Amino acid sequence: MEDIEIINLWKSNDKKINETLLLNRKNAEEITKMKAQSLLSSMKPIKIFTVLVGILWVGIVGTIVANLFLFFYDKMSPFFLYSAMLQVILTAIALIIYIYQTITIYQIDINDQILATQEKIVKLKSTTLLVTRILFLQLPVWTTFYWNNSMFENGNLFLWILQGIITISFTFVALWLFFNIKYENRNKKWFKLIFSGKEWIPLMNSMDLLSQIDEYYKESKAEQNVSN
Amino acid sequence: MNIQGKSDKFISAIDAHKGILYKIANAYCNDREDRKDLIQEMYIQLWKSYETYNDEYKYSTWIYRISLNVAISFYRKENSRTKLANSFSDDILNVVHTNEEDEKVTNFGILQQFIVELKELDKALILLYLEEKNYREIAEIMGLSETNIATKIGRIKLKLKDKFSQIKNQ
Repeated sequence: MEDIEIINLWKSNDKKINETLLLNRKNAEEITKMKAQSLLSSMKPIKIFTVLVGILWVGIVGTIVANLFLFFYDKMSPFFLYSAMLQVILTAIALIIYIYQTITIYQIDINDQILATQEKIVKLKSTTLLVTRILFLQLPVWTTFYWNNSMFENGNLFLWILQGIITISFTFVALWLFFNIKYENRNKKWFKLIFSGKEWIPLMNSMDLLSQIDEYYKESKAEQNVSN
Repeated sequence: MNIQGKSDKFISAIDAHKGILYKIANAYCNDREDRKDLIQEMYIQLWKSYETYNDEYKYSTWIYRISLNVAISFYRKENSRTKLANSFSDDILNVVHTNEEDEKVTNFGILQQFIVELKELDKALILLYLEEKNYREIAEIMGLSETNIATKIGRIKLKLKDKFSQIKNQ
């Protein structure tokens, strides 16, 4: 089939579209009278809920931990205090990135060129990976917050070996995931296993688009090099 | 210009180019309900961007750029339907009559199916090509060089011709 035949084939449908397609003027006018969706109204309720829970958690737990540090430091187990502090700090960092990402996505100019706009959107969406990596870093503190002096004084060797294995393996897993959860590993089995739920589909699709964009840019660069 | 005048001008522009919205939605969404939502989302985003419309560009170029950006983002959102906050029960665009089953067996149906199966960016490129946009315009909409556009389109066309010849030989 020749180029012109393909184009004519496409155009053959244009006439039909023009004859059969009608603009619903009533709806069209209604939309132009509507107030533009505000940032918050266009955000999904689940996102708002996540942000609210995050703020509440960081706010309440953060205040409690800060008070314990300031006024009850001598009476508290340092393991609990430092574990809790680390947990709150990591959650706060993840929350800030999440809020920044969500707001910035809605501020992207859709009027811009396609590759540039899509690159900005998918790169921002990919910061979800950073949030996940940071949250995984919390793993070891869930195995240390209950340590106390009496464990050191009265604990037996078996319990310490068990505790050691748990803490070391959690630390190893947390660090390994922190360094390995990245776009380049998206096709690995373990990666797909972690990000297999429905809520991860947009992220996985974004990463697929990012690889398409990369490919486009790579080819564009290669062609520029050839022409130079 | 007052709001009513601006709104009328906008609606007339969209009415004159409504086929673009319909064709893009068909290329990016298989499901009828998704298509309806996508057209509505494209329309809303066009209206929101109308304030900053630069008349240096043709309406069609501006509509393509925004609609494709919306379609690519929308397509990625979820596999299931994405309900909009301000969804209307009626379609913005109504099709008076189509027989989708008949379309599937025609050459046009094959072409449309081929487009649906392409990746998001390739899909945008071939749509612009089929709409007879020149390489300069396509490069402007996509944000790539004209040479790059030519190479990419050439490759997609080759695949398409291959598909047609395979079907012919069956």
